Amino acid sequence: MRGLQLPLSQTQRIRLQRALEKLQSLSCKANSDASVTVADTIPVNYEDAFLKGHGTTDLNGDLVATVCGVVERINKLVYVRALRARYKPEVGDIVVGRVVEVSQKRWRLEINFSLDAILMLSSMNMPDGIQRRRTALDELNMRGIFEENDVVCAEVRNFQHDGSLQLQARSQKYGKLEKGQLLIVDPYLVKKSKQHFHHLEQFGIDLILGRNGFIWVGEHVEARDSMVVDQANSSEQSMVPEEKSQTHTPLEMRQNICRISNAVRVLSALGFSIDSDLILETVELSSTVKIDIHDMLGSEFHVLVAEREAERRSLMGKRKR
Amino acid sequence: MVGLSVGEKHFIQGGIAQDLRSDGRKRLTYRPIYVETGVIPQAHGSARVRLGATDVIASVKAELGKPSALQPDKGKIAIYVDCSPTAAPMFEGRGGEELSTELSVALQRCLLGGKSGAGAGIDPTSLVVVEGKVCWDLYIDGLVISSDGNLLDALAAAIKAALSNTGIPKVDVAAETTSDEQPEVNISDEEFLQFDTSGIPVIVTLTKVGRHYIVDATSEEESQMSSAVSISVNRKGHICGLTKRGGVGLDPSIILDMISVAKHVSEQLINKLDSEIAAAEASEEES
Amino acid sequence: MAAKPGSAPVTYSPNLGQKTRPPIFKDNDLDWVRPDGRGFHQCRPAFFRTGAVNSASGSAYAELGSTKVIVSVFGPRESKKAMMYSDTGRLNCNVSYTTFATPVRGQGSDHKEFSSMLHKALEGAIMLETFPKTTVDVFALVLESGGSDLPVVISCASLALADAGIMMYDLVAAVSVSCLGKNLVIDPVLEEESYQDGSLMLTCMPSRYEVTQLTFTGEWSTPEINEAMQLCLDACNKLGKVMRTCLKEAASASQE
Repeated sequence: MRGLQLPLSQTQRIRLQRALEKLQSLSCKANSDASVTVADTIPVNYEDAFLKGHGTTDLNGDLVATVCGVVERINKLVYVRALRARYKPEVGDIVVGRVVEVSQKRWRLEINFSLDAILMLSSMNMPDGIQRRRTALDELNMRGIFEENDVVCAEVRNFQHDGSLQLQARSQKYGKLEKGQLLIVDPYLVKKSKQHFHHLEQFGIDLILGRNGFIWVGEHVEARDSMVVDQANSSEQSMVPEEKSQTHTPLEMRQNICRISNAVRVLSALGFSIDSDLILETVELSSTVKIDIHDMLGSEFHVLVAEREAERRSLMGKRKR
Repeated sequence: MVGLSVGEKHFIQGGIAQDLRSDGRKRLTYRPIYVETGVIPQAHGSARVRLGATDVIASVKAELGKPSALQPDKGKIAIYVDCSPTAAPMFEGRGGEELSTELSVALQRCLLGGKSGAGAGIDPTSLVVVEGKVCWDLYIDGLVISSDGNLLDALAAAIKAALSNTGIPKVDVAAETTSDEQPEVNISDEEFLQFDTSGIPVIVTLTKVGRHYIVDATSEEESQMSSAVSISVNRKGHICGLTKRGGVGLDPSIILDMISVAKHVSEQLINKLDSEIAAAEASEEES
Repeated sequence: MAAKPGSAPVTYSPNLGQKTRPPIFKDNDLDWVRPDGRGFHQCRPAFFRTGAVNSASGSAYAELGSTKVIVSVFGPRESKKAMMYSDTGRLNCNVSYTTFATPVRGQGSDHKEFSSMLHKALEGAIMLETFPKTTVDVFALVLESGGSDLPVVISCASLALADAGIMMYDLVAAVSVSCLGKNLVIDPVLEEESYQDGSLMLTCMPSRYEVTQLTFTGEWSTPEINEAMQLCLDACNKLGKVMRTCLKEAASASQE
């Protein structure tokens, strides 16, 4: 919880403090020994052969940490997992990015990483679905598919030799994202799970949790080919602009989108990891308490969510035993 | 200041048209305002205002100086805003200069009144010590720490809070002085005169997106604006300054409509701000 | 003292004696008392806090006595300028003073060289080869200048870098020493700095016992140099411990 910037009354402050302390005591106590700061020596048994991993370096025969974080050991590999570092991509991760540049045969996407990621034209599906070689006409038409500032969902394909990422968007569910909003949270709050695409039926909303900390909340779009949608759109754009208002999101769906986005904002402000169950619980909590959508960002709701989470974790802990 | 895709822009415009913005606010709702006073101990008055993710600090320093020859019975007030690179890397070096100048000029226009000094939020005649010889120079500095839209409103609120927190030292003037020399002044360390800030206006920035206006736009919403007008309104409901902040041309009737909307919104804003400032000063005294 | 018309012009010598203060100490005067009552070899209590700016990758706020500094770190981000492929990352530092930082408004003229000095102090500690082709921006803002500004900026900047998760060999702690007559005072305040005969600023990495930057001004004899450097290294060690405690607290608070 980084500097929660909210005006809290005295009672709210006490309640929040109590809830956070409870959570802290519930989280693994063993971690406190393993947390290190820069240049702390890492306790290792020097007789065993071990591999120095990320975040460690050698100093006069001792193994010291180069970042602040938690020491993790996997078999013989010892490394330091930084608590707040930038997104660390892995092959197969689902990410959401924004196009910053359209160049020859590729798009460059910003994904909250040190370097921008590359999406090659050849890694995208073509409109007719046929796998064929890309012609010069396709290259000229790249802006018709994605242009600058578009929000795109893709998968990490591999790393290039200079450290930058290559993405692919071969399946139907990837592609351009419209009709919604993009939220940016800290990447370490989105943990790897089996499902990153969530279709919330009761609201009719798509929720995509990108592992790079970009979260998309938008209207549900049937998984169609993004190319086909675009060709239909381009004919729409030739229509008179006033008619566009017909395609605005209906009010009720918009309210749901806002509620979910605010739930994500509250969870990220409190520093809780974000997954779809927690988001849905938070939204339910807000409806049961009959709180206005805008007031979800107020101090009272933050305190309620913290308390609810402390309850939930302590119940989970009891169930395990 | 990231770009937005067509789909996102459409979504934001739709939200504004339907009176439900992306964080759930209505068109004329402000984000929660949080005021802290006395953050810069070495200044005579200071305040920090947080408006959502926008974070600004205002500090007031008073120094003795000579009034200008044209207006010997008035003190001098200077307002200057600095956008620091801690807010955004693009403010480094020259990047933030244009924005800083724009904000400084807009604030001066709203708070300092006409050339004759009439209608100023701060009465410059209250700053004079010895007419023609000694007056207070008031330097008001604004600092932008974090920017998420609507900097002008936040800065105006911070300046208002800083001025209510300001204590100008009491000055005793030596009695025996002739007409052509500098009188000796004795600056007291103990007694301070508080400013009367009830006359200080607030600034309401109305951003026009599509056919509707919103107040307190975030930086995403600001990137969508067709034009914006910042209107400074004081407690009596009079307009103390108006700046059109670029964008497309506006029909005059729309501008008049905006003025009446701003008056309406400013009442609530002034009340909210006053209560926040009072709360901040109360908690400052406790600590 | 008004000049009477018609008389010979009287030299009007303003009574400067009242305006300037006499030198507070004279040579060999060992009774110099520090304005805040500290001992000669005592540093001000340091207060550090990370996470001061939410929109930055990492940030820190430091307060030592009346010197207040806030530093924010952005990056590693893609280098904007079309630069040749470089194996190592780029570090970009910028130190600026707010207009209300100094007692006389608008001073702070030294900050142009502070940026490059901050750069030199930090580059020895950061592992630049871990972020090739990208840039890390460090922006320091001095909110109040109360003496010993640059050392506080450097210590605060290294905390902000650790907060951002940038790989470093060690934290960088910095301390400065002033020579007033025969006395060495550590961590001088603004008043002491304006009267100093010489000064020494040392930045080092405490655990590695390596000096990343060292500047001397004034005339020093060798035993004085040794004493001063030893003093600084001890102080840096203690400061390093305070910084680590702050990081550990921040780390334990954010663990879930």
